[in-house]
Amino acid sequence: MTDSFVFKGRAWVVGDDIDTDMIYHGSYLPLTDPQEMAKHALEYVPGMEDFTDRVQPGDILVAGRNFGSGSSREHAVITLQYNDVAAIVAESFSRIFYRNAVNLGFPILEVAGVTQAVETGDELEVDANTGRICNLTKGTEVQGTPLSGLEKEIMTAGGLFNFLKKDMQTAE
Amino acid sequence: MPGKTIIEKILSVHSGEDAWAGDRVWADLDLAVVRDFGGPNVVLEYEKQMDDEPVWDPQKIAMTFDYQAPAKVVQVANNQRICREFAAKHGIPHVFDVNCGVGQHVLLEQGMILPGSVVIGTDSHMNLLGAVGSFSSGMGTTDVAAAWATGRLWFRVPESIKITFKGSYDYPASAKDLTLFLLSKIDTTKTIYKALEFYGEPIDGLSLAGRLTLASMVTEMEGKIGFIIPDEDMLSWTGERAGRKVDAVLPDRDASYWEEREFDIGGLEPLIACPDRPDNVKPVREVAGTHVDQVFVGSCTNGRFEDLRVAAKVLKKMGGKIAPQVRMIVTPATTEVAVEAVEAGLYETFIKAGAMVTNQGCALCTIGHHGVLAEGDVLVSTGNRNFRGKLGKGSEAYLASPAVAAATAVKGEIALPE
Repeated sequence: MTDSFVFKGRAWVVGDDIDTDMIYHGSYLPLTDPQEMAKHALEYVPGMEDFTDRVQPGDILVAGRNFGSGSSREHAVITLQYNDVAAIVAESFSRIFYRNAVNLGFPILEVAGVTQAVETGDELEVDANTGRICNLTKGTEVQGTPLSGLEKEIMTAGGLFNFLKKDMQTAE
Repeated sequence: MPGKTIIEKILSVHSGEDAWAGDRVWADLDLAVVRDFGGPNVVLEYEKQMDDEPVWDPQKIAMTFDYQAPAKVVQVANNQRICREFAAKHGIPHVFDVNCGVGQHVLLEQGMILPGSVVIGTDSHMNLLGAVGSFSSGMGTTDVAAAWATGRLWFRVPESIKITFKGSYDYPASAKDLTLFLLSKIDTTKTIYKALEFYGEPIDGLSLAGRLTLASMVTEMEGKIGFIIPDEDMLSWTGERAGRKVDAVLPDRDASYWEEREFDIGGLEPLIACPDRPDNVKPVREVAGTHVDQVFVGSCTNGRFEDLRVAAKVLKKMGGKIAPQVRMIVTPATTEVAVEAVEAGLYETFIKAGAMVTNQGCALCTIGHHGVLAEGDVLVSTGNRNFRGKLGKGSEAYLASPAVAAATAVKGEIALPE
């Protein structure tokens, strides 16, 4: 977790309505080890079957509308986190996925129009503080919703438990 | 100041703050639930963060094993054992094991879900408990582990949409068709994280089963919760189960809604959600004749006694036998439903028709259970999701009412009940 919330990396672009079974299929729900969960990221997204072989640490996932709809499974966030994906930028997120990402301190950002502005392989700079996405390959910019409020505090703390523990210490 | 919506009232009471849509509040929880899926992850996370520290309140924690019940994979058996051992160690009495059925339905029957309560759990369809006016929400591992430690969680108070239905409909249309109708009309990109409140005569007329059907698919509408205000019958039912008098949480007359919408469902006909989206809804007659390999009647959406009863009735009326090339699986939601169905003779009807009746649970809503699909297989399910490959790569699923599912099983192709 970088304090500055600025990430530079290569983009992977996926479409609208990527549900949790596509991100992390139900057949792997019994797994509890994050390293094992990491082996199945995006396996059911058409065209992304070999994602885990090709993803590089620091890569950025770019998605369309309603990313992460469906199940409450936190595995769907963990599987991306443990592939060292730096951040997810989407047109919009499904509510449980969004919340799970916040609680795990995993940077996510809502940016309208981002799938039009980015192609797989483009080099991006994502500033979660300002909500700005620079496409370094194309020399263009898109503006999203910056992180703010409680969600940002939890993310910055590195997730919900870190946040709560900090809170408990302050209270003491 | 305008008045408050149902969600604003519930979260005000539970946070001790003056909660309005858009606010972030920390709310006290009435119950934090895990299943055999997610449960072991919660236990491991809790122990990683809290070591041997006692949980917040053993009485307000529940476990429901319904994902793979009973376990057929050793890993799931291990996971269930992890949960049982944690419950024993922490003195958690409410463990509803693999013989009980769908968690939310079991908790409801046990009188553990009250109108106005705040309940969380590791199931994206927790919110079906909005059917009795509870604010229940599906959450991930970290949230539930934190809840077990502190008894509180953060919420962004959702904006509310008031949805009023008018008109009436007759059999074979049902609560499932009303639900699919709404899904097809509502534009789910605009309901993300919204609290829905349902009103109108068609809602007043719904039984508990119908209310559960509608409230369960608020998840597929991408809503946070869908409230149906309990009427006198529902209040006495929940009150009886809880062993005390319960009250409904009503919105203020001048509550401020993000949007108010009205839907006329007069003359509603049987509908079906086509692959691969729950909101890809068409009239059944438009896709009638589509070949089907398997039919599933059950789930948290349509696994109540009256759902099974209508399916059995259609089977009987249409000749009593399913088509030879079709596999039909029927799963009661809970033990209580199963007993009622046995006593009413429904099991006999299903078994003689050629269907398989499984033990109570979530069954074919995940790939964890028996009855998964081959590549190219087509399923008609009374469940709530038909995402691509959910029950097997290369398979397709349609979502419909129990009546349509039963008629389809008889014909071997998508069909209307006669």
